[in-house]
Amino acid sequence: MNKNIIYGLYFVLVTICSSFIVIKNKTLIFNYPKYWPKPLYQFSKLSMSENEFQLGRHLFYDPILSKDQTISCASCHLQANSFTHTDHELSHGIGGIIGKRNSLAIMNLAWNSSFMWDGGVNHIELQALAPISSKNEMGSSLNEVVAKLNSSEKYKALFFNSYKDSLATGQKTLLALTQFTVMLNSYNSKYDKYIIDKGGDLFTQQEKNGLNIFRKNCASCHTEPLFTNNEFRNNGLTLDPFLNDYGRMQITNKSEDSLKFKVPTLRNIQFTPPYMHDGRFQNLKEVISHYKLGIVHSKTLAKELNSNLNLSHKEEVDLLVFLRTLTDYEFLFNDRFSYPF
Amino acid sequence: MAYLFKKVNYFMKYNFIPILISVLLGFTLISFSSSTLEIIITPRFNNKSILETDWYVTPTKDSIQFTKIKFYLTNFKLISNNGEIKVLENSSYLIDIFKPETLKFSLKLPHFNNNDKLYFELGVNNRMNTTGAHSGALDPSNGMYWSWQSGYINFKIEGVSPSCMTRKNKFQFHIGGYQNPHNTLRNFTINLNKQNLELNLNLEKFFEFTKLSNENQVLIPGSNADQLATVFYNAFSVF
Repeated sequence: MNKNIIYGLYFVLVTICSSFIVIKNKTLIFNYPKYWPKPLYQFSKLSMSENEFQLGRHLFYDPILSKDQTISCASCHLQANSFTHTDHELSHGIGGIIGKRNSLAIMNLAWNSSFMWDGGVNHIELQALAPISSKNEMGSSLNEVVAKLNSSEKYKALFFNSYKDSLATGQKTLLALTQFTVMLNSYNSKYDKYIIDKGGDLFTQQEKNGLNIFRKNCASCHTEPLFTNNEFRNNGLTLDPFLNDYGRMQITNKSEDSLKFKVPTLRNIQFTPPYMHDGRFQNLKEVISHYKLGIVHSKTLAKELNSNLNLSHKEEVDLLVFLRTLTDYEFLFNDRFSYPF
Repeated sequence: MAYLFKKVNYFMKYNFIPILISVLLGFTLISFSSSTLEIIITPRFNNKSILETDWYVTPTKDSIQFTKIKFYLTNFKLISNNGEIKVLENSSYLIDIFKPETLKFSLKLPHFNNNDKLYFELGVNNRMNTTGAHSGALDPSNGMYWSWQSGYINFKIEGVSPSCMTRKNKFQFHIGGYQNPHNTLRNFTINLNKQNLELNLNLEKFFEFTKLSNENQVLIPGSNADQLATVFYNAFSVF
């Protein structure tokens, strides 16, 4: 009897220890610099496991999400461009349909208070629904996607690894995509290293000048360290008569939101052309000249833009040089984020 | 150590049976002190059952046929006479008029007395609309979720009518919106005095103020959706 109990206890102990080892191997660590604010996302529904991350990565790169198996998330969100679509003013979806907007870069999503250029999506876990369902993008529905995943042997195995249940559901599909995309964090730029170094010699004089110009003229909306204040602003662009895109107002139905769009982050800006919600500017020089000369005044114009940006040629170059310090090559070339197949 | 095992052994031999009995008794008591409340939904149009194959005439004299009638009943709470509130976790139900199995469900309630009240919501509340992807009845793959703008569709009523000068004569009402001033959530508080609760939907009332030739598509949150949410709510009666 005593022996049996001892064996029993021993067995329980071994089981507990080994399960700890398994859990430890599977847990992802959500890292970010100490000087950053706390993320807004709560993580409560994510397993933070490697398996869920890999499932999300497969889903992200798999055209199975689109109606005709041609478009994946990565079609418009390429890692080398900080997960946006370079060379395309407006992104295109199934059957070559051209969409209404320039795809946003994906990074540091846990700090976003809303998603999309108009903020129509209120939570990271629901973001993927928009491209999946849009007829200009993937032209499918979550319901259709779940049915396809449930008839795929590969995904049955991947879902089982992640959730101990091979059945895909809408919630699990969205959570897996969240588990992947929420880990796409960029915080290893030259700028970050300079800030951590507390203003040491990592920046050239020109980059330091550029940072000062940036802080004086741009940082009220593109707030450090995430380079966005998460708000919506009318930055004085003319209305494109073909798109008739009034931005935030289409979500809120409030006239005070007319022509307002999300302030995008400037991290990795060097690799995310074209710029603006409709991709109208091909390079950063054009963006700066818009703020210098092109502002259209209207009722909802951001008050910060009432007077034109006044920069000398040299200051403009310094600012452009500074913006390049926001490039994070470790992020752009991180193998864990790349094509998994 | 050996002493401890001896103790365990002794304990097993002499105290096991009375403990087992009291544990079993405890479980029985717990199961007796909770009760089941059956919710039965009865959809009617002019006092007739609603079938996909039948035609109906609205109070405003439109002939109609239905293809889809779905709505959410969520967030059930038991409110005791003394003001104590017990929330029933995960109590979200998607009712589909054309799926009879969804027209009847039972709630496991803690023990309740006469004059206790049951609170529940018609639609999905603000909290569930702002906390990401949910499972079960609230899984966004159920087709009751908007994608271009976050938010649940609290109810869908779709069908055809020759009065609708639309593609395939369709009418479509997708009603939702969780933000003020056009929050489309409505709620019921009902006295509990029996073991079941009958929720009757008199759907003709939804069309009392609507002439389908004028208004046949409401697919976004806003003041129209808000008004129709009230009209739909008023089409329910509870017994």
